[in-house]
Amino acid sequence: MSTVNARAFSAAQDFLLGAKKFWTTQMYPQLLEQERAQASGAKVPVQERVQSNDLYPFYAWMERHLQRMKYAGRYGLAPLHETQRPALEAALARQDVPTVPHFAVPAYYPSFDVHQHPGGLMGDSLAGFVYERGARSTTPLDKHFDLHHRFTRQVGALTTPRRILDVGCGFGKSTRPFAQQFAQAEVTATDLSMPCLKLARHLDAQENITHVRYLQADACATGLNAGGYDLVTSTMLLHELPVSHLADLFVQAHHLLEPGGWTVHLDFLPQVQPGADGFSHFIHAGHAVRNNEPFMQSLAAFDLKGHLQSLGFTDISITPFAENDQALDTHYPYWRFPWAVVQARKAL
Amino acid sequence: MPTPHAAEQVFFNDPAIDRLMGVTMALATEVYVLRDRLRALETQLTDKGAVDVQSLNQEVAPDALAQHQADRDAFVAHVLSPLLGKASSLGIQP
Repeated sequence: MSTVNARAFSAAQDFLLGAKKFWTTQMYPQLLEQERAQASGAKVPVQERVQSNDLYPFYAWMERHLQRMKYAGRYGLAPLHETQRPALEAALARQDVPTVPHFAVPAYYPSFDVHQHPGGLMGDSLAGFVYERGARSTTPLDKHFDLHHRFTRQVGALTTPRRILDVGCGFGKSTRPFAQQFAQAEVTATDLSMPCLKLARHLDAQENITHVRYLQADACATGLNAGGYDLVTSTMLLHELPVSHLADLFVQAHHLLEPGGWTVHLDFLPQVQPGADGFSHFIHAGHAVRNNEPFMQSLAAFDLKGHLQSLGFTDISITPFAENDQALDTHYPYWRFPWAVVQARKAL
Repeated sequence: MPTPHAAEQVFFNDPAIDRLMGVTMALATEVYVLRDRLRALETQLTDKGAVDVQSLNQEVAPDALAQHQADRDAFVAHVLSPLLGKASSLGIQP
């Protein structure tokens, strides 16, 4: 029988969040400062310089294990939700989400625990709840959900969509801002994970959002109608896809868009960040391994622009994205995700 | 492709340090859980007038400290005696 109680859980998670903030605002800046001091005129490759820094193993350990402790172990997200299983499953049982015909889970998806989430996002009926709770504390300096509204406003400056498709929507954290900002639009959202989709509908109901159609579908092969959308979007999906699926995603987007429609994606691309250098690439590559993100590096190496051009997209841009007002300052001192927006238009 | 439940990643030259870090951080989490519990208890007891927090926060007088000296010394010995590297049982030479 579990001995965890909600108060102990919240105290432990608060401690872990404090530790993550220390890692973000103290450990990373010191590592960065020491690297800059050593980099000038150095002949040793950046990875050797950083790995020889006494601080680095502690930095790497903390990144790996604060995430582990957040999800697993005595005070982890998974065991807490286990204590609430009957009530949470009852809430999801009221939600009905259809699966598109010929749906199949890609083989890569259940083959590892993404984000160190035990069982991944399909391994348990409560996986959506666990993921949603975890997403609240991904970045200790920013309210993680604010960036979704920032992204939606940026898309709103580009176009006013009438038929939106949000692929890889998870529990709807990217979908709801679109549904709220473009209240007159038809919104469809897809994901592989049924536990996440059911939670999305549950959370929509709590916010009185009633016009989102959720479907269990593979973003790379949705089975939806060709030309049925004027916006195909995703948030934090591209880095979750193997290269073959990444390429297929844009083929699918082109297929689903009407002429003149936009495809816009918020994700992580270190190479387009201000001041990007060997250190930032090394840190990002390390994060990918430590956070169980096997496709982050292949996304960073993928020729997105060339692929989009080959498909006939126009107005292609790949630009850094500011999750807060200071984030893109060259001298921003704290650890951050290398947020970027990939956007392109289907030719008229 | 990562293998589920493979060996944990190692970041220090000596993997023992990785494992000791895990123990240390688990204990630090437990300490913070206890601090939170104690704070909650103090708040509730103060609200009910059962304890005087100001009194609790006063520096402890030497006489009062002396009453707990044996306990302090036993605590210190428990925590620090492993540093001496002495066996606590008669054993065989490795």
